[in-house]
Amino acid sequence: MTTTSPTLALLRRQAAGTLARLEGSAPAPVARALVAGGAVLTIASAFLSWTWTADFPGDLTVSGYPGGLQWLTVATGLLLLLQTLAAYDLPVLRALAPTGHTAPLRRLALAAFATTWFTLAAIAIELGGLANLTTGGFIAGLAVLPALYGALALPADHRPAKAPAATSPWIERLWVTLITAAGLLLFTYGIDTSYGELFEGYLIAAGFSAAAYLKSGLFERGAALLQRQRPFAMTAAFVAAALFPLTQNNDHDANVGVNILIFATVALGLNIVVGLTGLLDLGYVAFLGVGAYTAALVSGSPFSPFHNAQVPFWAAALIGAGVSIVFGVLIGAPTLRLRGDYLAIVTIGFGEIFHITVQNLDGTSGPKITNGPNGIPQIPDISIFGLNLGTAHQLGSITIGRFANYFFLMLIVTLIVVAVFSRAGNSRIGRAWIAIREDETAAEAMGINGFRTKLTAFALGAALAGLAGTVSAHVTYNVVPDPYVFAGSTPPNSAFLLAAVVLGGMGTVSGPLLGASLLYLIPEKLSFLQNYQLLAFGVALILLMRFRPEGIIANRRRKLEFHADDADAVEIPEQGSGPDNVNLSKAGA
Amino acid sequence: MHTLPQQLANGLFLGSTYGLIAIGYTMVYGIVQLINFAHGEIFMTGGFGALTVYLVLPHGTSLWLALPLMLIGGALTSVLIALGAERFAYRPLRNAPRLAPLIAAIGLSLALQQAVHNLYPKATSPRAFPQLAAGPWHLAGIRIQSGDLFTVLAAPICMIILALFVQRSRTGRAMQATAQDPDTAQLMGIDTNKIIAAAFGIGALFAAVAAVCYGLRYGEVDYSMGFQAGLKAFTAAVLGGIGNIYGAMLGGLVLGLAEALATAYISNVPGMQQLGGGSWADVWAFVLLILVLLLRPQGLLGERVADRA
Amino acid sequence: MTDVTTTTVTSTAAPLLDVRGVTMRFGGLTAVNNVDLTVGEGEIIGLIGPNGAGKTTFFNCLTGLYVPTEGTVKYRDKVLPPKPHLVTQAGIARTFQNIRLFANMTVLENVLVGRHSRTKEGLISALVRGPGYRRAEADSRAKAMDLLEFTGLAGKADHLARNLPYGEQRKLEIARALASEPGLLLLDEPTAGMNPQETRAAEELVFAIRDRGIAILVIEHDMRFIFNLCDRTAVLVQGQKIVEGDRETVQNDERVITAYLGEPLESVPGASDSTADDSTADDNDTADGAADSTENDE
Repeated sequence: MTTTSPTLALLRRQAAGTLARLEGSAPAPVARALVAGGAVLTIASAFLSWTWTADFPGDLTVSGYPGGLQWLTVATGLLLLLQTLAAYDLPVLRALAPTGHTAPLRRLALAAFATTWFTLAAIAIELGGLANLTTGGFIAGLAVLPALYGALALPADHRPAKAPAATSPWIERLWVTLITAAGLLLFTYGIDTSYGELFEGYLIAAGFSAAAYLKSGLFERGAALLQRQRPFAMTAAFVAAALFPLTQNNDHDANVGVNILIFATVALGLNIVVGLTGLLDLGYVAFLGVGAYTAALVSGSPFSPFHNAQVPFWAAALIGAGVSIVFGVLIGAPTLRLRGDYLAIVTIGFGEIFHITVQNLDGTSGPKITNGPNGIPQIPDISIFGLNLGTAHQLGSITIGRFANYFFLMLIVTLIVVAVFSRAGNSRIGRAWIAIREDETAAEAMGINGFRTKLTAFALGAALAGLAGTVSAHVTYNVVPDPYVFAGSTPPNSAFLLAAVVLGGMGTVSGPLLGASLLYLIPEKLSFLQNYQLLAFGVALILLMRFRPEGIIANRRRKLEFHADDADAVEIPEQGSGPDNVNLSKAGA
Repeated sequence: MHTLPQQLANGLFLGSTYGLIAIGYTMVYGIVQLINFAHGEIFMTGGFGALTVYLVLPHGTSLWLALPLMLIGGALTSVLIALGAERFAYRPLRNAPRLAPLIAAIGLSLALQQAVHNLYPKATSPRAFPQLAAGPWHLAGIRIQSGDLFTVLAAPICMIILALFVQRSRTGRAMQATAQDPDTAQLMGIDTNKIIAAAFGIGALFAAVAAVCYGLRYGEVDYSMGFQAGLKAFTAAVLGGIGNIYGAMLGGLVLGLAEALATAYISNVPGMQQLGGGSWADVWAFVLLILVLLLRPQGLLGERVADRA
Repeated sequence: MTDVTTTTVTSTAAPLLDVRGVTMRFGGLTAVNNVDLTVGEGEIIGLIGPNGAGKTTFFNCLTGLYVPTEGTVKYRDKVLPPKPHLVTQAGIARTFQNIRLFANMTVLENVLVGRHSRTKEGLISALVRGPGYRRAEADSRAKAMDLLEFTGLAGKADHLARNLPYGEQRKLEIARALASEPGLLLLDEPTAGMNPQETRAAEELVFAIRDRGIAILVIEHDMRFIFNLCDRTAVLVQGQKIVEGDRETVQNDERVITAYLGEPLESVPGASDSTADDSTADDNDTADGAADSTENDE
């Protein structure tokens, strides 16, 4: 584990001491009652008005029903109430906390507390002073405290989860559907947030709640359930994703959706290179660019030197992926024989060379191929089976706009990439990749041709990025050199892609998807950060590596739980390459 | 102006700057096997530190007087930031898998860049750097500007000081020991933490000198100057043999020469008419890197190190 | 166990492993100096010597990790290309002195990786997942589980390798090496850090491996282990092979006694300090050492 500084250790001890004092300071029934009562009060307080001017977005001036951020308080309050009722050992709700009640209750109380106080603080800060809060606001701030205190006063009761009762596969599928639907709603809400404060509140509420369900053991149960019903779960997820654009009233959110999908797909491709095989590719976005430019060149755009070619999309996609593979092999062949750190530099270099080259091929500094800084605009829309993706279509009463069309296309590409990742990761070659990542010398001693295996991973990653690039060229009408840099303010760029993979959790399927979504949405939604975005991003990376290098979706092996009690499991000395905190196991979470 | 001697001279001036920055990369990599991505930004902050000193000095101070102070100011800035980075960003990750400190370094590089961009007054566009009021001189058909003269004096002096330090001083020898075998070095009583910090500090020191060279040569400092220069400098370090400080300077000179010559003469090669000129300089630098890695991966002065199974 | 005798295989057939004149120089340091060694089919050969004598370096020369400065290594009468993965494909497998498992893979996955050289399903096959692929995977799994049963790890197939206790990690390394169906297995200090029961179990395992027809070359410091197991033992000191033969030959050799053979059997720290200049002390040590080994033997 990372070494802790003395100050940090001191702070931790003091925090632990305070918590220890709070714990048990009230008898358990009293504490529980406090939490329950506090939850009800919190929910009620959301119905009051919290401020008396409409300057704060969301209209929190009305008494009688919640508005804007107040809904988040209601939501967290309801979850808290539900969890407290579970603590009363009511028959059905009991299942909400397989590993003990206190831990999730504490976090849900924190969720309610943090969300409410965040809203109040936001009001005060933005409007300039506590005077902007009405009595209702103060009541809300106070209402949440007994719940928090009560939760902290509860005795710790962590226990190992009992195996859940076996249920029929159809009930399991029902649960999977519900989970998927909930996921879709959550995601849609996040995308739909129209102002920054709401998005921030949403992140806070969602973050603490997720932590709560993680601690309660529900996540483990859910993950096991999804594993058992894997094919059904994947279908449900695909259906949910397909439904997403249909839930939107305008095409803007579908635009966001497509971009997230492109970003996520490319991140998944990078996950093969970095996450599975451990190759430090820092110029990955160049492969996306190769795909995009290739598609642009064969698309028939009047600005392309090959504008007489009219290539159907599926051919363009294949060509794009193929050209990417060629570049991947060109870059990989000389460098993959060397130490991994050299690959990092060479890939950055390649990224830079790509960017410079496409900028220079404008007829002046070089032959006129890519039209230099102006790029290749007027890329025609894709036409599949006579259906033009550029025009809106009607499906009953629902309008499917341009971006929605491309969303569906990209969804299919994403599905292909997910399938490739899953299948490749869980096979002989996937094991070879992971073995190389873990210990290349030992892997070679097992008969693995390190160079050829690494090159395969590298080329495959390039191909997938190229494929995603071909779609992105059509989505954005034009292709310019600007996005294909190492670091910049808008995703995708190599640093962001790498961060998405690392943040989400390397080696897993859902990790890069989640990481890409977060990293795309956060700059998009939190526009107040505008100029300080990259600064915040840089600092965030440092902190992430310091405190949680395994990312959000660390692939915890369920079997690890069995070892907590295993008397034989002795902690083994470091094996040099054995990372403690980067938990990467089988591909495909 | 594009005569061969002039181009060679240009290459030397450019290369010396690369070499000074490359020393920082090579020293850190030699001891902790970390590519300090943020080193380019440390170079950049050194430049801004020097600029700041100049700006706070009374108006009209002669640059000859101010220059030493600027060097000190720049060095202080870069060294402090480098030591801070080592202590708070890298040291906690020393036992983490390779990717973690690399990503932290990327984050730090971004953060430093943006911090200067956002927080330093008027740094959103390049800021003018004072120029020495002397020269240009002409020597054997080569035009030497004041900035070039400074560079051509500073680089060798720095190398001599560094060589003496590494070979004669206790810390220097301790550094060599730590680079070869950190565990045994520790057993011999060497405080590896201090040695590593010293490596970061010395690298930062020379980067600051390089930044002043850069500022004097180009007349400006810019928040983004670290990225490109850093990449080139690491190329130079690899070229010369990573971990070898003389290799770093040699690599820098070779890279500078290659860039200058390619920029001037590539267009003469049949078929590559349009690939000359400044806009392609960086491309040729990386092509050189790939060639070196293909043909002599240990670099010009490097040695093959056997891997203990 | 005590009735198993170590037989010396005298075969007139070509040796399985034929090492001639292998020398390894690193700059000015000669780590291995002109070593000859042969291993016949089904033999168990020991390689002993003080720390730093070059034993692991020698192994690395055999497996292609290092390219010998001089000399040839022939396996089944063919010179092996100096690439580790080709050496494994040819039929030599190894374990490492410092355990090098794939820490974040499960026990079963570790062994499956060992089967890499005996399977050939590539990326396309993995993506298409035709019947051929499924059959190959099932077959690999079956063979891997068989090896886990053989080494007694079948119950922990889904545990992460790094969570295994030390002794089981060593067994896993062996299982993983066996997965490539080698003709020759190189074991590098397989009992380091083991207690007597574990060492005993390791001995049985090595005999069982030999019974499967695999020859074994083992580096060890545990004298009892070595002499119980090995048909022949070679002694490496400062990179040179100073003697090779059966137990008596080695134990009574002057040079060996002088250089090294004072190590107590249970690795009691400080109990033996074999130095060349203090021959009296050495003689006493050797006497003790020899006496110990005769006492506790058989």
